[in-house]
Amino acid sequence: MSKKGKKVRPEGTLGIITGAGMMGAILLAGLLIPWFGKYDANEISSDQLLSPGGTHYFGTDMLGRDVFTRVFDAVFVDIGTAFAGVLIPLTVGTIVGTLLGISRNRRVNSFIGSLIDGINAFPFLIFVIALVSFLGAGLSSIILALSLVNWARYARIARTRAVVVNQQGYVEAARTLGYKPTRILFRHIIPNVSSETRAYALSDFTIVIIAVAALSFLGLGVNPPQAEWGAMIKDGANIITLAWWTAVFPGLAICWAGISVAIFSEGLTKRIGEGSQQ
Amino acid sequence: MTSDVKLLDINNVAIGIERRKRETLVLVREANFDVNYGEMVGIVGESGSGKTMICRSIIGTLERRGASVIGGEVLFEGLDLRTINEAKWKTLRGKVIGYVPQSALAGPNPVLTIEKQLAEALSQVEGTGSMKNRSKELLDLVKIRRVDTVMKQYPYQLSGGMRQRVMIACALASKPKLLIADEPTTGLDVTVQSQIMELLREIRRDLGTAIILISHDLALVDEVCDKIVVMHAGATVEVGPTSSMATPRHPYTVALNSSRIDVAKPGGELLTIKGNPPSVGQWNPGCRFAERCDFVQQDCLVGEHPALSGSKGEHQSACLHADKIGKI
Amino acid sequence: MSKRDILMEVENVSVTFGSGATAVEAVKNCSLTLNEGEPIGIVGESGSGKSTLARVMAGLQPPSAGEIRFRGDNVFKGNKSFQSGNRNQVQMVFQDPYGSLNPQLTGLSAVAEAVRIHTKVGKDESEQKALELLERMGIGKLDALKRPRQLSGGQRQRVSVARALSANPTVLLADEPTSAIDQSAQAQLLKLFLGLLNDGLAIVLVSHDLGVIRYLTKRVYVMKDGVFVESGDTETVFNDPQEDYTKMLLASIPGELGKAARAKLNR
Repeated sequence: MSKKGKKVRPEGTLGIITGAGMMGAILLAGLLIPWFGKYDANEISSDQLLSPGGTHYFGTDMLGRDVFTRVFDAVFVDIGTAFAGVLIPLTVGTIVGTLLGISRNRRVNSFIGSLIDGINAFPFLIFVIALVSFLGAGLSSIILALSLVNWARYARIARTRAVVVNQQGYVEAARTLGYKPTRILFRHIIPNVSSETRAYALSDFTIVIIAVAALSFLGLGVNPPQAEWGAMIKDGANIITLAWWTAVFPGLAICWAGISVAIFSEGLTKRIGEGSQQ
Repeated sequence: MTSDVKLLDINNVAIGIERRKRETLVLVREANFDVNYGEMVGIVGESGSGKTMICRSIIGTLERRGASVIGGEVLFEGLDLRTINEAKWKTLRGKVIGYVPQSALAGPNPVLTIEKQLAEALSQVEGTGSMKNRSKELLDLVKIRRVDTVMKQYPYQLSGGMRQRVMIACALASKPKLLIADEPTTGLDVTVQSQIMELLREIRRDLGTAIILISHDLALVDEVCDKIVVMHAGATVEVGPTSSMATPRHPYTVALNSSRIDVAKPGGELLTIKGNPPSVGQWNPGCRFAERCDFVQQDCLVGEHPALSGSKGEHQSACLHADKIGKI
Repeated sequence: MSKRDILMEVENVSVTFGSGATAVEAVKNCSLTLNEGEPIGIVGESGSGKSTLARVMAGLQPPSAGEIRFRGDNVFKGNKSFQSGNRNQVQMVFQDPYGSLNPQLTGLSAVAEAVRIHTKVGKDESEQKALELLERMGIGKLDALKRPRQLSGGQRQRVSVARALSANPTVLLADEPTSAIDQSAQAQLLKLFLGLLNDGLAIVLVSHDLGVIRYLTKRVYVMKDGVFVESGDTETVFNDPQEDYTKMLLASIPGELGKAARAKLNR
């Protein structure tokens, strides 16, 4: 029975709006600034290592490129890669984990189950780094490596949840009502399993953004001259005492992206949490 | 010989959740009843009637849920429970006031053996003899046979009924003056239910413990309690000795009585209460039962919720037209 | 006044879980019949096997031995089995109102989905039909648009019944439908079932509460440890129980019925 009184703004809305707003802002900037900005992101000039001010809001780097433009030029690269690196494992992991959870085939269950447990046993970042080194540097390698490693984490969550969901009354009811197995799987089981994996995805996103930047920092990411936060930090780290702005601003961008997702997911949790406290 | 100090006196109690930047959500308003020493009182109501909130105010667990007593007095042996601090609560809760939770919800700690659970409960109390013997005595008290086997088992190895008995045993460890049993048999088989009711009766008889039995089942409460308190939408709408409650004087009780399965003719007319209990915070002015009432009059729809007539100890009703109802 | 047609037959059904040393026989060689439009009850305590039997009858689980027949056809084998499409005729309502509805669907969506699958109508028509069904169950339009967590236990049960009815079944199996809800909600649900009986639906009521069984059913099977210890007309079993177990069950009913039974026992 609902215990809500007059509908005042529900809890968590502030977080949802803030988080979404922050992410939206940086995405918008990533769209507009490289297009309409004064400078080209890869335009080399002789104004090297200028400190922030004047027309170069974030200063310039070693090659005279405008840091401001570069930071926002990297938005879709970094966030886009992170997005793909979460979406693919989320989808694959949820489906595989669910199928595993509802399957009665012991052999398949133990084989894939062991595979999942095996992959999960490795520390995430190290495994990804190793894979990317093996596959060769580049964004597509990063996405591939992330997918190959991360799907197992989602699959584990999905499998446990699927076992529970499968035993729930509404799934049994769907069977008695004669619904086709595909309908039961996609309309009833997966949505209720993915509520958990999607929650995990939100927190995973922050980690993946950092992982993408870290890989680039290690030189395993994009090829120059494409702007990318991790690579920018790597270049800037060497001269941090001379020109702090070359490393700090890309770092702040990573923080902004990560924090926006964190705030959003907190707000979402509060919102859902309030509703389920009956 | 009547004692002036009642064991428990609930006086016009209101309970609410104070929220930032919003008005307080009132969960209970005008709850009124008392419990004498050694008495068995049944509190009947639907979900959301406030019956569980009241019992939380008696054992002091309202704060944990963000709620507090916002009006009236909760007097335990004359002491206003609103005014005491956590240190004082610790001397009451689990010692003088015992609590048995709903069977479906909580239960013994799943990772402790029964022996350890009982030892934990007993460690709060002084007693003679070894912990083991005292534990066995407790299990005896709740009529558990094969005491030695059960002591070594984990909760998951016991049936629902047995688990409830263990919970009752833990609550009785301190020989409390008041035991609150919150829907102790909901979800359990009727056979187990009748055994547990019998157990509560014996405890009351042998130990003199006053018992508050919270339930949604009027038939059950009718059978075992001395006094019945009926709650609806956060208010006490009727209260009185069980014998007198056989002729109810509030339309809600009349309706509850008429919807009892045990008195219905097989396959015959089964009267139900129309509508649903009002959601918390969405109470209309006037009597909160008015929308669902078969005898509603114009004056029922305005003003404050009707107060209970008469005084404590008598058969009281919060219906403006109680005398007419009583004649049905 | 002809004898009603036999709708379902349970013949020498046994259900065993596990194998070898840890095998548990939940149902041992049980047989029963259900006639058209008839209400019967299966009563027993937890662990008696009654829920397992209900699930076997609903076609959710095959028996280890014996046969279940619906209108003469084997429910699990052959081309008239439930697998091959005869599914709709026997529907089930479960005990736990909190798990029986998809938490992500509103009552309306859940019932409309069922209507669509069974009658192949369009979305709007299915929603219309769903609203009607829910109305019959006492769930108004406002409540129909709520998600399960905003509904009370009794309301959730009624949504489950509406969903089951959208398949237009001839048999409704109800496994302890009233155990987890308030007394007043119980009364509403039972009154509903009575109405359905009057519409010609056959109901199998599984419960541990003989009071509920007595109100609704015409015949009852008393189950203990997987076996039927007594069976017969409900009225007869109530007034003249033969087995000690039945007598004990009767004595445990809260309220007047139990009192009467206990008085008889002590005589």
